[in-house]
Amino acid sequence: MKSKINIYLIEYAINAILRQKSKSFFIVFVFTLLIFLLTSVFFITNSIRYELDSTVDTLPQIIVQKIKAGRHYDIDVDAVDNIIEIAGVSDAVARVWGYYYFENAGVNFSVVGIEQYEKQYKNSFEKIADKFDLSDTESNPSMVVGHGVKKTMHQSYYKEYFNFIKPDGTLKKVNIAGVFDADTQLESNDIIVTSKEIAREIFDIDEAKATDIVVKVANPKEIPMIVSKIKSIYPDSRIITSQDLKVSYQNIFDYKSGIFLALFIVSLFTFFIIIYDKSSGLSSEEKREIGILKAIGWRVDDVLKEKFYESFIISFFAYILGVGLSFAYVYIFGAPILQNIFVGYSQLKTSFELPFIFDAQTLFLVFFLSVPIYVAATIIPSWKVATLEADEVIR
Amino acid sequence: MNKKTLYLIYIFSALLSLIIIETIYLSSEKSMSSALVEKKMAFVELVGLPDLAISTEATFVRHRSLSDIFSIYKDDGTLREYFPSTYAISHSHIINPVVIKRDNEK
Repeated sequence: MKSKINIYLIEYAINAILRQKSKSFFIVFVFTLLIFLLTSVFFITNSIRYELDSTVDTLPQIIVQKIKAGRHYDIDVDAVDNIIEIAGVSDAVARVWGYYYFENAGVNFSVVGIEQYEKQYKNSFEKIADKFDLSDTESNPSMVVGHGVKKTMHQSYYKEYFNFIKPDGTLKKVNIAGVFDADTQLESNDIIVTSKEIAREIFDIDEAKATDIVVKVANPKEIPMIVSKIKSIYPDSRIITSQDLKVSYQNIFDYKSGIFLALFIVSLFTFFIIIYDKSSGLSSEEKREIGILKAIGWRVDDVLKEKFYESFIISFFAYILGVGLSFAYVYIFGAPILQNIFVGYSQLKTSFELPFIFDAQTLFLVFFLSVPIYVAATIIPSWKVATLEADEVIR
Repeated sequence: MNKKTLYLIYIFSALLSLIIIETIYLSSEKSMSSALVEKKMAFVELVGLPDLAISTEATFVRHRSLSDIFSIYKDDGTLREYFPSTYAISHSHIINPVVIKRDNEK
């Protein structure tokens, strides 16, 4: 079989594209835009999911919280003793944390209280905070804050310390001892880490109460059993496992990119229908062209090959251009405008610097959603004309 | 091979090499190094809160455990969806009168 790429047919295809400059330009423009949009959304989703997945395993395995009257309620610290006695539980810790609404800026800070004297925390602080001085004493309370928090406080002229307004209206002055590393901004932007005592004071949580209890399990296979045991001891509790959190991550981004994909597919197919419609009502000139080609000796498969080259050049060009542009748009420029689909409307904005991952699956998916369909939408109408008799078409 | 075919080949190879250069640049500059992953893991372990700080306006987004149990979208730890309306409908602009007032004054 002597089926090689026919260079003359390619030349003919290029000339055919150039002959209809404005039409070809328009198609390339719309096609590039569609591919650019679709790949950008997929890139953003994949990067966020990658970011989440890389840290999801360090989240607590089980979180136990108390529900009262259909709402979250402070749990008794005593519950820790009962939970730790369950076989298979290696550790249980009562946590104190919550939202602090800073009214002047209209933002929510997440205040997390930790036992600052534990050695493990000291080690991790050295790793994740730019500079910090945790010389925390009763007379000199301090906290480590995320970048967004620091910026917001600065705007309200709090540079060295911050005055928390306690529930009873009095002020609690806490020094800013350090800032979390800018690299962790996607995680740490809204966080304030301080000692448990200060967090209790800010939220007015009693010593005997805690926000929730985190449970560590030595063997992850035992988690469902331990969950059911905790549930039987505390029927009023709601228990969130790390598996639930993984599912929730999946759900959020499947939903968001799914909605976008659904909208996109509508526009993509509208585009193809327009192309198909335009080419199936091939203009008399184009019909004549095919007729003449056949009359001078071209076979049907020559005509189809030429049409294939023509549509492939256009669609592949648009595909590469679209992908190249979206790489730059998402990862170099931080996806302006489009990021608003994914971020909330809070005033406390993070920089949208996403980690780059080369996702071949997405690239193939977009390729097969676009290029072959476009090629088919152009070839089929030409094939219909090319199978007719030459004199019938010319006349 | 005539000039136009050569140009076509040049254009395609230029575009492809642009993508390759972009990929190499991005994977060296913008991808997560293992040190960075460790740093992020250390942070998440310290704080113990799920999700990213990109949506902080609702208690059930970043703090799953502060949500209530009777709303449709936030009724469980798996958080089926939050803010389905953010695609098409803008959020309420009266949520924070203090900031709105300040912005208007500027």
